[in-house]
Amino acid sequence: MKLLSSDNIEIQVEKEVAERSVLIKNMLEDVGETVETPIPIPNVNEAVLRKVIEWCEHHRNDPPPPADEDSDSRKKSTDIEEWDQKFMQVDQEMLFEIILAANYLDIKPLLDVGCKTVANMIKGKSPEEIRKTFNIQNDFTPEEEDQIRRENEWAEDR
Amino acid sequence: MESHGGGRPPSLPPPFPGSNRTSLPASLQSTRLVVKPLPILPLEIIATILDYAPVSTLMRCARASKKLKEIAYDDSRWVNKLVAMGVWNEGEARKRFEDALKKKRMTQARLAEEERRRRAGSTGPGEPPKRISMGATLFDVDEQQARTNGETDAAGKLAQEVDLMALSPKPPPIKQEQQLMGVDTADPTLTVLSDVRSARGFARQEYGRVYAALWPYYIDLVSARSHTDPVVFRRYRNPEDQAVMLRQLKVFSESDSSLGWAERLDRLNSMTSIFENAVLREFEGGYEEQDYEGRMKRYANVLILLNGGQGAVDLFVAKHYLMFERERLGNPMDCFNNLHSADMTLEPARDFFKKLTTAVNEQSELIDRIFPASVDVMKPFLERIGEDVIGEYVSPLLEELHDRDIETYLPSVTEIYVNVLQFSKAIKPAHGSKTNFSEDMTRLVIRIFEPHYDLYLQEELDHFKRLCEQEVESWEKKITDEYTATESFYMSNVNRQADKADFLTSFKKVILMPVNAIALPPMKPINITFPVNPFIKPKAQPSPSIEDPVPEVSTPTPSEMPDEHTNGNAVVPNGSASMQPQPAPTSELAAKAAILNSRMEGIRTLFSIELALDLVHKAKTALERAACFVRFGGQIGEEAKEQCEQIFISLVQTLGQRHVKSGFDKAVTHLSQYNPRELSTADEDEQVIVKPLVQFMELVNVGDLIQQMLDVFYEQELVAHRLSDRHDFLNPALKEKKRFEQMLDERVAAGLNTGIDVLIKEVDYVFAKTQKPTDYNPGIVGEHMTPDIGPSDAARKVVELVSSHTKLLVGSTDKNVLDVFNQEVGMRLWTSICKHLKIQRISIDGAIVLISDVNHYTQFIVRLRNSGLTQYYNALRELAQIYLIDPQHAKQMAAVIADGTRFKGIFTVEEVYEFVTRRSDWYQIKKDVEGAMYGFGCFMM
Repeated sequence: MKLLSSDNIEIQVEKEVAERSVLIKNMLEDVGETVETPIPIPNVNEAVLRKVIEWCEHHRNDPPPPADEDSDSRKKSTDIEEWDQKFMQVDQEMLFEIILAANYLDIKPLLDVGCKTVANMIKGKSPEEIRKTFNIQNDFTPEEEDQIRRENEWAEDR
Repeated sequence: MESHGGGRPPSLPPPFPGSNRTSLPASLQSTRLVVKPLPILPLEIIATILDYAPVSTLMRCARASKKLKEIAYDDSRWVNKLVAMGVWNEGEARKRFEDALKKKRMTQARLAEEERRRRAGSTGPGEPPKRISMGATLFDVDEQQARTNGETDAAGKLAQEVDLMALSPKPPPIKQEQQLMGVDTADPTLTVLSDVRSARGFARQEYGRVYAALWPYYIDLVSARSHTDPVVFRRYRNPEDQAVMLRQLKVFSESDSSLGWAERLDRLNSMTSIFENAVLREFEGGYEEQDYEGRMKRYANVLILLNGGQGAVDLFVAKHYLMFERERLGNPMDCFNNLHSADMTLEPARDFFKKLTTAVNEQSELIDRIFPASVDVMKPFLERIGEDVIGEYVSPLLEELHDRDIETYLPSVTEIYVNVLQFSKAIKPAHGSKTNFSEDMTRLVIRIFEPHYDLYLQEELDHFKRLCEQEVESWEKKITDEYTATESFYMSNVNRQADKADFLTSFKKVILMPVNAIALPPMKPINITFPVNPFIKPKAQPSPSIEDPVPEVSTPTPSEMPDEHTNGNAVVPNGSASMQPQPAPTSELAAKAAILNSRMEGIRTLFSIELALDLVHKAKTALERAACFVRFGGQIGEEAKEQCEQIFISLVQTLGQRHVKSGFDKAVTHLSQYNPRELSTADEDEQVIVKPLVQFMELVNVGDLIQQMLDVFYEQELVAHRLSDRHDFLNPALKEKKRFEQMLDERVAAGLNTGIDVLIKEVDYVFAKTQKPTDYNPGIVGEHMTPDIGPSDAARKVVELVSSHTKLLVGSTDKNVLDVFNQEVGMRLWTSICKHLKIQRISIDGAIVLISDVNHYTQFIVRLRNSGLTQYYNALRELAQIYLIDPQHAKQMAAVIADGTRFKGIFTVEEVYEFVTRRSDWYQIKKDVEGAMYGFGCFMM
């Protein structure tokens, strides 16, 4: 079957691989068995889509994730496996695009890996660096920020 | 490129509290539009990312922007961490929240009150203005607080309010606190976890306190290279403090959910186990030196502080000398006196348990000295004792017993069980034992016997079954032996090769008359009959009295009487029966009759009440033993109960099917084989009695007795001990009992039926034998003698015979059965009388005798109080009148015959006619009567 990226590139992909995406899987179930026309993925460009497919290919045989979503938070915060670590060695833009694509295509394990990678990225960073990373504005006054810092002094590594 | 909050100058506060939350979708929308320079992640993804970040990063993120702060400060995130550590108390949190609500409501009420007063005050003159200002101040405070708490949600705000008010008294720790013996409680770090308060809106602060106290030690410990490095061991010197810290760190690690936690946990665990092992070594050292109060006590405490002291308990139990020196208390094989036989005594076993009791009680005191009361050492200790010491003693003992001899095995199981039970009762609980100590002990006993009870119960049942089988079999064998002995005794005098034709002729003759080949026992000299019990009292038999004159009997073949004995002798080939020193029946028939008679005599031995008693007694012992296990309750109890019922069932089956039923069957067979002509009592005998029937009645009595016995047994042994439920109609034991009762009833009914047959046969026989032709037809002999007033001999004998048997049943059988029996006897007797009348010749003179005979029968029947029967006899009485009619009144006779309604339908016209033909003058009047009858007939037509 084929997928159509946002920049109108058709990408050949095995059905089994594509079904790692819950979005596509549901879509296929709704439409029926044979789909000849490529499925449009409007929010994802070719480069990202290929990257996502690469991940899906590698993880095609993974067991389905446990059903209980809200189980102990510790259960899901396992370390990133080696292949995924390498896979995520991309620039930050690509990383975020992958996360967004995983979010859009509903590929939970990929999203998790992405989030963990970002979590590792921001570890030990200053608020300013974090702002930069997430591309957000500082909407605190310096006094307010200082107040929060003081409030949470206990959390600082000594 | 503006997010919703971002467009505002940073110095301005949000327009109203909580607005960020509502505008979230809008802000998401706006972020989506931004493409350059970097894609912007939606907030929910950022929240997920922060889940994986360590606390320090999280708190720095909080400084990045208001939205991130909101995510980071989210109360549930912190509550979750407290929950993970097990220090969050939902009940406490809820209570605080409710208190807060109440407080707020009170405040509002107060405000409303103020408001009202103020209004009243503004109109009323004397109201002090101070009040107003106070109210305003209060209001302002509230207002201000609301403003400062703008970002926390309503619940948080509420909680905050209240907490400010109710903060002072520290809430009583709901979590059960460990006694911190030997710990420096002044150091807040050592108690930081138990000091956590559960309050919504304050989870972050509370967690912060814990984090600040423990995180440095934690991160230091997990990154330490050796166990001497970590600060926690250097900062805290005494082992108690170290234990508490390690325990707290363990708990704290539960809240660490950022990436890499698993690794950190491993490190912490290995550090902890290094510490634990070190302490255990100290503890063990103390154990070896028997330094109970010193080292052992101290390090037990350390271990308890660390992780509840399981390690210390395990070590204490595992290293206990009782486990290794079991042999000193006794060897199970001591119970056997020699190598292979079952000869044994349980004295050593009793000794074993006595010693064990003392030893364990000593240990109980020791445990109290070493361990604090908060730890239950006694239970695991006793469990091990039960398993390793008692189990290892009891199991081989019982197995050996089982292999050697079931007979001693069964009572020994109970005996040992009692010993173990006593042991369990004699053990003193230690301070640390829980309140359900005795229950634990019971469970212990159960566990010891768990592997055995199954086999035991099965064996008990099998053994009982076998025993029953044996008893009944040996008893049966004895009876059969007796029987064959009797038979061979009788038969030995008779040549079995006798000429068949000869035998048949003699049989024909003999069968028509009583055989009196054997003389009577001395105590009944007049009674010429078979000895009542020839086998039991063989020496009492005088020589056979073949020469005894056979009394004149009015049998149809009286002329053959004298030949009988010669014929009888002809069958006997040696022909010298009378010369034999040992008296014996000389004709085959007589021999058989004697055998039959003694068989019926043996009815008391068809089944014996002694045997039944014996079996019941055995069942009782088996039940009592098995019932021990019922007390266990649960599955074992149920199974034991079931087995008890099984024992009862097999008792009932053995007694019922095997014993009583076969006895009854035999009796019934014998009864039906009984032929009065073979061994009837002599005609001169006043006390005419059908022996087998009498004995059958006795049998019924005995059967009844056995049934009552079973009933009582069931009530007392099974129901009273709650082994069986009387009201459960599906209960197999109850069903079996019912079946037994039913079987008994059936047998009795069958026996009575046969008994009636036999009785009527006897009646027929008495008729045939005693009714002289002259009774009803005195004229036939020629001499005209005045007829006796009153019933004839035959009638008197018949009535005596029947009444003596109907009386037998009274009191021993159910009234319904009795009624049915009487009815049946009455009817059959009636038929028999009719049949008998139809072969008599009756003259007018004889009719008087006949009528008095019939009256005699009727009187007897009336005494039975059965109205249906009485009718029949009344009809018969009326019928007898027919013989009184003078021959001249043929017409009148015909009228009686033709009147079909006269006898209430009991006799038909034809029957009455038949009776009339028995008139002695019938041939003279036949023509007239028939003529008149047909006249009537024509007339009636």
